[in-house]
Order: sequence, then structure tokens, then C-alpha cells
Amino acid sequence: MNITCNQLDDLLFDGSPLAMETAARHATGCRGCAEQLATWNEISGTAQTMQTTWQNDLLWPRIERQLRQETRRSPLRSWYRIAAAVLLTVGLSATMWFAVREQNHDAAFDKDILRISAMDDVERAERTHVEAIRRLARLAEPKLESQPTPLMVSYKEKLMLLDDAIAECQANIDGNRQNAHLRDQLLAMYSEKQQTLEDVLREDTHEQTR
Amino acid sequence: MSGLISVVSSDNAMEVQQRASAEDRQLAASCTRGDTRVFEDIYRRYGDRMKSIAWNHLGNVSDAEDAVQETFLKIHRSASTYTGEASFSTWIFRILVNTCYDVLRKRRRRIEESPIEDMVETAERTAPSVDDAKRITLHKLLHELPEQRRSVFTLFEIEGLSHAEIGEILGISEGNSKWILFATKKELQQKWRKPTPHEHHV
Repeated sequence: MNITCNQLDDLLFDGSPLAMETAARHATGCRGCAEQLATWNEISGTAQTMQTTWQNDLLWPRIERQLRQETRRSPLRSWYRIAAAVLLTVGLSATMWFAVREQNHDAAFDKDILRISAMDDVERAERTHVEAIRRLARLAEPKLESQPTPLMVSYKEKLMLLDDAIAECQANIDGNRQNAHLRDQLLAMYSEKQQTLEDVLREDTHEQTR
Repeated sequence: MSGLISVVSSDNAMEVQQRASAEDRQLAASCTRGDTRVFEDIYRRYGDRMKSIAWNHLGNVSDAEDAVQETFLKIHRSASTYTGEASFSTWIFRILVNTCYDVLRKRRRRIEESPIEDMVETAERTAPSVDDAKRITLHKLLHELPEQRRSVFTLFEIEGLSHAEIGEILGISEGNSKWILFATKKELQQKWRKPTPHEHHV
């Protein structure tokens, strides 16, 4: 097989005995390639003599000693690893638990603050409402006491029933401040009392216009 | 007929490989248990080649011995992770080469790094008729190469391993190993100048 100088690298890359034989055959008639091939082979030839070893009778005993120490340390190291893993797990869990708890606590605290604030607003409004109704009651009271007509007696009884119901409902609310149902009930009672008092006063006005 | 022979021989090869793999796994299991007799057997079988690979990577006997010792400790620590994909010897050489890389990196980090000329020590060679001047020149040239090129050259040209084995040791393909060897030898060819013994002594 004849080759050109450009193909020498392909043969060197191949490196098989046949390729090297072909390269050598080409090199016999080509000085440049012969020099290249000679260097190539010289490097390989030198490398093959570089396998290096030496006798050190102390090396194996040293390795063996280290291995024995390592073997003895291994179970201890495993325990250390397990202990470290347990500590890490406990530590992480505790941190996470505290973080979640703190977060929940903060959220609950915020919620409580909002709720208390809202309750205060409701109660303030209720107090104003109750005060207004009391003023209305004070206005209606002379009429209720001075005119013993059946209608007025009926209004008076209704107002007394409403006051009892309001007192009972208020007592229940004092025991459970956040019970919205009781508050609605109380509001309805006060509305009814307000309506009744307005009716009493209106009755008086009707009487006067008549 | 030839097809049948090739199938049979391929089956035999597979069987031998599987048996070798089972033996290797057994060897690895013994190493995990810390059976020093098994380690001694490994040392007797591969110790010389391990020392040679380490010496050709590190350039001095002391570091080479330390690397071999460290490799045995690493074998003990990680034998449980041996999967049997590569042969046990290839796996050992992979650990050794990586240990040598670690030593080289540590050495590079040291401020008072000694030049490689000072580190090349003489050791008793297996071939008594070597030309010391050529060998030392090649050794110096090898130490100027990047780690991977040096490893491929050392393992193929000096230790006589196949490209398939080198590929497994260095985690590269067989074709890549072949290409790296060619490129390395071309580079060495450019720098190679026949040294004379006189030059070496000077």
C-alpha cells in the first residue's frame, strides 16, 4: 500500500501494527517522514522503559497499620455519623417547629388584635345606640306614667318585657363577648324598644293633634 | 458456521466477564469488611503497577508511596460503592489516579513549590538497560503536560493499558483516549530532542 506524506499522521493515529508497518515502509523512501517516525518510535520506546518500581519493605506494614486503625475507627465513626445525623435532624425539626409556632403565634396575635378592635367598635356603637334609646325612654317615661290608657299600659308592659329580655341577653353576652348571634338578638331587642318608645311618643303627638 | 463460533465465543466472553465481575464484587465486599489479607493480596498483585503509575504522575518516591497508601484507605472506605461496572483493578487505578491529581493540586497550592527537576528521584527500574538521559527528558516533558494528557500517555505507553481500560479509569471514551494519546505524542514530538548523557549530567 503506497501512501503520501500527508497520510503519515493518519497511520500514527491508527497506531495498529499494520499501520505502523505501512508508515515504516513509506519512511524508507522519505527522509522527512523517516525522522518523524523515528522520533515517534523513540518516544514510545523510552516510555516503555519508564515503568518504575522499587522495593520498600516498610510500605505494606505501614498501609496495613493504617488499614487496621481505619477498621477500628469505622464503627466509632459510624456511631458519630448516626449521632450527628440525629442531632442535625432534632435541631432542624426544633428550628422548624419554633419557626412555625412563632408564625402561627404572630398570625393568631394579629387576628386577635383585629377581632378585639372590631369588638370595641361594635360595643362603642352599641353603647351610643343604648344611650340614645335611654334618652328616648326618658322622654317617653312621663307619658307612660301619666296616661293610664290601655294602650299605654300595653306599651309599658311590652317595654318591661323587652328590658328583661335585654338584661338577660346582655348577661349572656357578658359571658360570651364574641357571640354574634346574641349581639344580633340584642340589637333586634333594642330596635324593638326604640320602635316602641317612638310609638309611645308618636301616640302622645297623635293625642295632642286630635 | 463462523457466525455460530462468533456467537459461542461472545457468550463465553460474557460468561467470563460475569464471573470476573462476581469475583470482583466479592473482593470489594471483603475490602468493605476490612479483611487485611485481601488488601495484602491486592498489594501483591497491583502494588508495583500502582507505585509506577503514582511515580510517573508525581515524580518522587515519597509522594508516590503516600498516594498508594491513601488509595488503599480510599478502597476500604468506598468499596461498598463498587458496582462492578468496571473491573476491580480498573476501579483501583481510577482511585489512584484521582489521588495523584489531589496531590498535584495540593502541591500547586503550596507556595514553596519545588521544581519538578528537584523532585525526580532515581528509583530502581525494572529495565536495567534504560537510557537515563532520554527517560529523564521524557519525564520532564510529561510533567509539563496537562493532567489528563499525562495520564493517558502514562497509562498507555508506560503501563501498557488498553484505551478501553484508560477510558474507564479516566471517565472518557475509548476514542477520546486514542485521540488524546495521538495529540500528546505529537506535542512531545515537537519538543523532543535527543538528549545526550553529557547534557543530562550538566
